[in-house]
Amino acid sequence: MLRLRLFYGLLTIILLLWSVGAAALLLMQDNVTRFDTRLRVDYRAIDAAQSFRSLTGSLNTNYLPRLAGPPPEQPPNKALFDKLKPDLLAKIEILRSTENQEQHWQGVVESLDQALGLYLSGYEDYFSDKAVDRGEREKLLQYMATQTQRIIDLTESVMTLSEERLFSGAARLGEESGKNTLFVVTLVLLGTAIAALIYFQLVRHLVDPVASLHRSIEEIRKGNFELSLPELGRGSEFAVVTSAFNDMAAELKLRRGKTDDSLSRANMVNSAILEAIPSPVFVLSDDSGVVQINPAAERLTENLGVIGRLPLKIQRILDDCRETSSHFLPDDPREALLFRINEEEFYYLPRIFRFESGNGSQSGWAVLLHNVSRIRWLDDMKTNLISTVSHEIKTPLTGIRMVLHLLLEERNSQLDEMQKIMVTSANEDCERLLATLNVLLDLSRAESGATHLSRTPMVLHDSVARAALTFTSAAAAKNVELQIDDGGKNFPEILADPIRLDEVMNNLVSNAIKHSPQGGKIIVRQSKPDAEHLRVSVIDQGPGVPESCQSRIFERFYRAPGQQVDGVGLGLFISREIMRAHEGRIGLRERTENLTEFFIDVPIA
Amino acid sequence: MFQSPDRDDTGESTKRKVLVVDDEPTLRLGFAYALSSRTTTVETAATGRHALERMAETEFNILVLDLRMPELDGLGVIDALRSHGNHIPVVLCSAALSPNAALHAVRQGVVDFLPKPVRPVDLRKVVEFILHPERQPFPQAMRAARSGRRGEAIRILREETAPSPQAASWLEVLVALHEAGASCNKELVEKIRRNLPMLNFNSCPPP
Repeated sequence: MLRLRLFYGLLTIILLLWSVGAAALLLMQDNVTRFDTRLRVDYRAIDAAQSFRSLTGSLNTNYLPRLAGPPPEQPPNKALFDKLKPDLLAKIEILRSTENQEQHWQGVVESLDQALGLYLSGYEDYFSDKAVDRGEREKLLQYMATQTQRIIDLTESVMTLSEERLFSGAARLGEESGKNTLFVVTLVLLGTAIAALIYFQLVRHLVDPVASLHRSIEEIRKGNFELSLPELGRGSEFAVVTSAFNDMAAELKLRRGKTDDSLSRANMVNSAILEAIPSPVFVLSDDSGVVQINPAAERLTENLGVIGRLPLKIQRILDDCRETSSHFLPDDPREALLFRINEEEFYYLPRIFRFESGNGSQSGWAVLLHNVSRIRWLDDMKTNLISTVSHEIKTPLTGIRMVLHLLLEERNSQLDEMQKIMVTSANEDCERLLATLNVLLDLSRAESGATHLSRTPMVLHDSVARAALTFTSAAAAKNVELQIDDGGKNFPEILADPIRLDEVMNNLVSNAIKHSPQGGKIIVRQSKPDAEHLRVSVIDQGPGVPESCQSRIFERFYRAPGQQVDGVGLGLFISREIMRAHEGRIGLRERTENLTEFFIDVPIA
Repeated sequence: MFQSPDRDDTGESTKRKVLVVDDEPTLRLGFAYALSSRTTTVETAATGRHALERMAETEFNILVLDLRMPELDGLGVIDALRSHGNHIPVVLCSAALSPNAALHAVRQGVVDFLPKPVRPVDLRKVVEFILHPERQPFPQAMRAARSGRRGEAIRILREETAPSPQAASWLEVLVALHEAGASCNKELVEKIRRNLPMLNFNSCPPP
């Protein structure tokens, strides 16, 4: 539709242009033609008038002087007169034929015609030689002169009239040219007006919609979806654009509404979760700024006097995590950090993890401080309880054991067979109970002070030899061969606490013996797995650790289900604690060739 | 006061007299029973104070002392005895001997530690070890150390060409103690702690 309007508008202007041009050309042509015609007519009239003078002049000059003197003997030569007479008559015919309806002009031409008739009749008299005497001749001469004068006067009038006509024609031409100019100017003005009209139409139909589209886009960019474009008339190309745009705005508004809804819902859920979590939670951006904290964290930071910030101890751990870009997810409550709030001790276990959006554009850190004060307290209570109870049980047990030993010695009186069996059994139970108590005491010692080590440079082989010596009899009782493979003996010294290392070594060897089949073989092998550690591997031919339990065997009180062998499930836990304090490692190698291999890695001095 | 179950009244003048001090009745009974013989009489005391009283009355050849007791503990008893100029050999029985307690004891001339639970065999052995030391370097060195002659003990131990782990540990501890004099620093305690298992009388398992 707009296209059509544009076409019509421009067509109008083009037509106007053409018509203005054509009109100007035509008018000019017309004027020139008319001027030319008038000029030609008047010129002929003037020319004719002029010819009267010259023709009468040459006739008079040729013939009249004869009248002045005595009458000549010979008759005048009439040839010239005959030759010029048609010319004169032709000129008068020209004047007569001139298109001039004016009375005055007609009168003058009539008079000139009469005068010419009289003049010619005078010459007829002249040639008829009627005037022979002097008087008559003078009279004729006089007459000719008068007629000639009259013709001259009349031609003068004709010329004057012609000139007047010429001038008046020019003046009329000027007038008409003014009219023409007015006409052209009017046309141009009309064209201009139409152009202006087209301009405003174009602005209204073309520029305005674009401008308002632009405004609306700006508004939408600012988030104002309320603004919709006014509907344009049907048929406008912009009507399609406008309605499409309005649809788009409506769609955006709807989606934005949905997004806003889901966002605010997600926000609400998040806040609810964060508020519901009793542990302080900090969410941090990648560049260490705190993005969000929950009410518990607010209270904690307020109590610590670092409102809204991460406590320094935790900040340090976070910095380490950032450097290594790794999570920090400790499970052991003993790794908790101590905070003093109002003279009270609180233990918080920091759990720091990095999160990242699917495409990796968004990332940050979350810090959760798990309050393990109660767990720690209970754990301490348990450790103390175990320690106290163990000691309390152990003291009378040593007495019982003493007595049983004395009975079995049979120094002063012999036991009968049944008594001996019973006392032996009681003694075995007593020994087992003591062993268990010792393990429990080891646990409480490990838990209360595993980090307290007295590390000194020592030879690893000595510890291995001591363990082998300690278990010689136990191995012999089960017919198990203990093979020491010292790996060439020239290993560097290690940095360890000999007593604690012996505990670990004893535990591993004792476990190996316990799980070895009758007549099996145990290899205690030393090696150097890397530049910083020496390794002792204790390899037995026992049934091995079930795969499902492998990850748990180092836990406290954990025993693989269906165990036939005695124990409370603390040996490996204590060993792990000791190795951890040594900054070493303890582990179980994958089972190969029906061999079970436990190993420890001890730092080289 | 408990009477030894198999108390033999004959030849009392030639008999060795042992005083067992422990707050655990069964243990007292057991200790007494284990040690009593034709040549040995055993008396028992339930508390440290009681033991001191008894020792003021009678002279004993050897004192088997529990470390952990209510009121006056083993170390307190040793201190009291030494302050009265009594240099009786002491066997210190304990379920958990700490390095500091060991240091204290060694300084007072107590070098025989018997960890609980005690086997009767070991108990008899340690009494024999103290009262009739063999002519070998280690028992002689321990004897010297027991009577306060620490320098001599060190010399004897040093002369030994192939010392047992037990002897080596004792040498290290005695040298450290000798060098430290009367002071007590952390290093010394650490050294004792490290060697503690080897200082026990029965630290070497029977071959």
